[in-house]
Amino acid sequence: MNECVIEFDHVWKGFPLHRDRPGFKEFMVNIHREVRRKGERNKYFYALKDLTLRVERGECVGIIGRNGAGKSTLLSLMLRTISPSKGRVRTMERVTPLLELGGGFHADLTGWENVILNGVLLGLTKEDVLKKLPAIVDFSGIGEFVDFPMRTYSSGMYLRLAFSVAIHTDPRILIIDEVLSVGDEEFQKKSKGEMIKLIKGGVTTVFVSHDLHAIQEICHRVLWLDHGELVAEGEPAEVIKKYRGRDIVNPVSL
Amino acid sequence: MRWNSYNLRRDRDLLWLLTKKETTLQYKRTILGIFWSLLNPLLLALVFYIAFIVVLKMQKKDFPLFLLAALFPWTWFSNSVSASTVSLIGNRSLIKKFPFPKHFLLTAGVFSQGVHFLFSLPILTFLVYYYGKTAHAIWLLGIPLFILVQFILTIGVCLAVSVINVYFLDFQFIVAFFLNLLFWITPIIYQLDTIPEPYRFLSCYINPLTPLMSSWRELFLSNKMHWDWLVNAFLSSLVVFFAGLIIFRKLNRRIDEVL
Repeated sequence: MNECVIEFDHVWKGFPLHRDRPGFKEFMVNIHREVRRKGERNKYFYALKDLTLRVERGECVGIIGRNGAGKSTLLSLMLRTISPSKGRVRTMERVTPLLELGGGFHADLTGWENVILNGVLLGLTKEDVLKKLPAIVDFSGIGEFVDFPMRTYSSGMYLRLAFSVAIHTDPRILIIDEVLSVGDEEFQKKSKGEMIKLIKGGVTTVFVSHDLHAIQEICHRVLWLDHGELVAEGEPAEVIKKYRGRDIVNPVSL
Repeated sequence: MRWNSYNLRRDRDLLWLLTKKETTLQYKRTILGIFWSLLNPLLLALVFYIAFIVVLKMQKKDFPLFLLAALFPWTWFSNSVSASTVSLIGNRSLIKKFPFPKHFLLTAGVFSQGVHFLFSLPILTFLVYYYGKTAHAIWLLGIPLFILVQFILTIGVCLAVSVINVYFLDFQFIVAFFLNLLFWITPIIYQLDTIPEPYRFLSCYINPLTPLMSSWRELFLSNKMHWDWLVNAFLSSLVVFFAGLIIFRKLNRRIDEVL
């Protein structure tokens, strides 16, 4: 049971601060300022600093922290869509993202064309996606719209279909970023139920949320990130209590 | 974990789906659809016909066949390269959300333009018979070999161009200029012999497109394979390919910071 499936070994991730370089015109107009700022161009902003962590198989780990604490960067590193500046990230199994849903869809393709492409991008073969297609369409409740281009969909249908594909791809490691609120109330209940079923069923989960109740309810362990560093780690109730208490210790940060 | 047979099958499916997506989306919601990919070079050929044969009164036997035998393969190269300048930036949302090899997007782009090129082969065959020539068994050897060499060359250029354009957006305009230049310094609307001597030699050895386009044309016009041209094209294409690969791998490492 104590098998490690995600491992971060002293991971740093930085982004250059001067990402939008000035165009030629702006440069000439502001030449005196630009020359002075030359040194700044190599400055890095570190979203994660020296982070070491392990996630074991079957665990549900919650991640909390204020905006800009590095939570999303952490998830992207787990997903391997970005690579660390320093240190090492290892994932032993396929990672399924439930982040900004529907990003992989193309508005001019039909629902089922998008489902197949999305399923394959999530790591299944086309054959396996085709097998799951009826279940995906059924769960999303979009009905006959599946044959129409996705530009005809409402935004709720978009999200429902995206969610439905992701949870039907037989996930091994799920990473979730604030998507418990998908669609209308009925679908929310259904999707939350489905996620809890997966987690109870032993799917390793990393769960980022500002909803502390949900975190406490679902997670086995909680990490608290602040400014890219690990502040506390452990039992959900304890860490959440500390996290809530931070404002009382330091009321200015409100 | 990455190299088991399941993941290989999945990668194959992904490449196929991305190619299909590129191919169908390019002309989606147009009336003529994929026929535009044939119509475009044909209309371009018409422009050259008017300019060179009608206006400038150039004497050239079977000009349409002569031109299109090189213009169709050129279109494959040129469209692939211009599409690749924006293929990483344009697919940013896919790259940021799903872990998959980024070079698949480029390969799919070259494949998809290649599909359009394959559709042009029947037109060329028709023109060959129209001008009283015949097809020959050597085509079965020549066409796959030339396609392979051209694929190696094109993907090499696309790898470099796509990744440089992420860091340096001005690059797409530079690429457009160089494609234009390349079109006129490669024997496409004229033949290789027209280039005066020290340049002809240089062109043959430095520009992989020179022997390649000449090979395509010789194959369709006179059913001949020039092995020395093929070897030239192959070797210089390999150089371009590895250069492209090195640039891609080097710049790909930090690409998530700027994409």
